[in-house]
Amino acid sequence: MRRVTRNISLPLSQIRRWPEFGVILAFSTIFIFFSVLAPMFFTIRNLTGIFTIVSELGIMTIGIAFLMIAGEFDLSVSSVYAFAGFIFVTLGNSINSLLALIITLVAAGCIGFLNGTITMRARIPSFIATLGMMMFIRGIMMAITGGRTVAYHGDLIVPTLLTRFIGHGFRPSHVWFVALTVLFSLILTRTRYGNWVFATGGRKEVARSMGVNINRVKLINFIISSLMAGLAGSIAINRFSVANPSFGIGMELEAIASAVIGGTFLTGGHGTIIGAFFGAFLMGTIRIGLIMVGAPAYWYMAFVGAIVIIAATINIKLRRLEM
Amino acid sequence: MQRDLPLVRMANISKWFGAVQALNNVSIEVRHKEVLGLLGDNGAGKSTLIKILAGVFPPDEGEIYFNEEPVKFSSPKEARARGIETVHQELSLVNIMTISRNFFLGREPTRRIGSISLLDKKKMDEECSRVIGEVGIRVRSPNEYVSILSGGERQAISIGRAMYFGAKLLILDEPMTALSVKETRKVIEHIEEARESGASVIFITHNVYHVYPVADRFVMLNKGVKTGEFGKEEHEAEEIIEMVASSEGVL
Ligand SMILES: Nc1ncnc2c1ncn2[C@@H]1O[C@H](COP(=O)(O)OP(=O)(O)OP(=O)(O)O)[C@@H](O)[C@H]1O
Ligand SMILES: [Mg+2]
Repeated sequence: MRRVTRNISLPLSQIRRWPEFGVILAFSTIFIFFSVLAPMFFTIRNLTGIFTIVSELGIMTIGIAFLMIAGEFDLSVSSVYAFAGFIFVTLGNSINSLLALIITLVAAGCIGFLNGTITMRARIPSFIATLGMMMFIRGIMMAITGGRTVAYHGDLIVPTLLTRFIGHGFRPSHVWFVALTVLFSLILTRTRYGNWVFATGGRKEVARSMGVNINRVKLINFIISSLMAGLAGSIAINRFSVANPSFGIGMELEAIASAVIGGTFLTGGHGTIIGAFFGAFLMGTIRIGLIMVGAPAYWYMAFVGAIVIIAATINIKLRRLEM
Repeated sequence: MQRDLPLVRMANISKWFGAVQALNNVSIEVRHKEVLGLLGDNGAGKSTLIKILAGVFPPDEGEIYFNEEPVKFSSPKEARARGIETVHQELSLVNIMTISRNFFLGREPTRRIGSISLLDKKKMDEECSRVIGEVGIRVRSPNEYVSILSGGERQAISIGRAMYFGAKLLILDEPMTALSVKETRKVIEHIEEARESGASVIFITHNVYHVYPVADRFVMLNKGVKTGEFGKEEHEAEEIIEMVASSEGVL
């Protein structure tokens, strides 16, 4: 019996070596699909436009994936995204924008710290703790601003650093996204910390008994998740030059969907940042592609929903057969 | 180092979980290069006792001495640093990680590139392959997932890992649960090898036959109380089974 199972698992284990294989294949297929169907799709202007929205979603997705691999969720990222924009605009209108950005990121990090502390101290699922945080931040923001939009008229340092055009439609945010993908991919696969992240999400009792400080790992990852959402939000508001308290609603699910499409397990312990990168690209490509073939915007949701279900099913199958 | 001084001594250990007293004034010692069989029925407190020794949680009362030096472990990491390696009942491996990543979990070797230190994957894989070979497992690569291994192979790797990291005391909590007869025999071989290389072993089990061939001494627990302590020469396996079953003890 054992021999048989082993033989079946042989080709699969080779695919397993390349966990991003599935998402890259899906991305390529959909990319080619839209390139053929929509004549204006495969143009530098459009592709860099996709890159722009993907960078913002993708930076958030990196943080989400990193945290999910450690076995926890963060639903508050979408609120942190809008909240960061608000803080940045408010501060940036009166002080140096770089300082405003730093304070914004510190504030975002603090929310992550709070998420982690609540989750671990109160021993409630992070799904619930961060759902509460998501609503709490959004509610406070709505109440304080009365839903009004505020415009940014501070200096150009941060806008230039984050998102102003650098030619052919490319923006610095694209570079940040790629750089952060490489950085977090390295941390996850090539450092001791990365190994602890996998173990914490894979089986926390074992991780702990092997000397891993699992609470610290989780706390750090909560902070990273919030930080990345804060950065994504800062990029977005610098692109629009206005902040609105309803920015980013529903984006947490898009980010989780991107991570899952990219091969991250909802149950933790497995996933890749490169996969999350392509997951975010898949989402952005579908969104823009559907618009370009003239489909009503609602189709985006339906499409993404179907793909999430397929991706999660494939993840489970791989896990049953191989792991 | 004097042979007759114990390697580890746990003195007057008590532990409560809420209203449940899991351990009541239990004292045990483990001598150098000895295999101690820790026996007792379900819920006797065996796992609780060794978890205290492994630094998983502290005792409510009592002291631990390592080489006659009082020690307090506030985490498993501190116990590991002293050379106390545990193969827990619930297994000590993460199934959805590779063998080599599991092997070095918490003690990953690194190499520095400038100011950053990265995992030394090459060393991890090489050392891990070597130990896999030594414990006699046939897997294609240390980058296989643990989940494809059999129960016996997993225990062999856990024991191999403990010895690789220089365990002075190897604690095995029911290492033969769900193992075949052949795998059980393998694990006994690994325990003998561990003792030969100078380690002491605490071996927890329900099944006296599993531990009898290798054990030097036995301690019996029942409902959190130590009910017996004797050398192998004092009792036959059948008598010990009788004692565990009737839990009358000999103290
Ligand atoms: N973390 C815990 N919280 C609450 N009670 C616990 C905990 N761990 C153990 N106990 C209780 O302590 C007692 C001793 O448990 P322990 O696991 O040490 O027994 P054991 O001898 O290892 O049993 P087994 O042979 O079934 O593994 C039991 O009554 C158990 O329910
Ligand atoms: Mg037990």
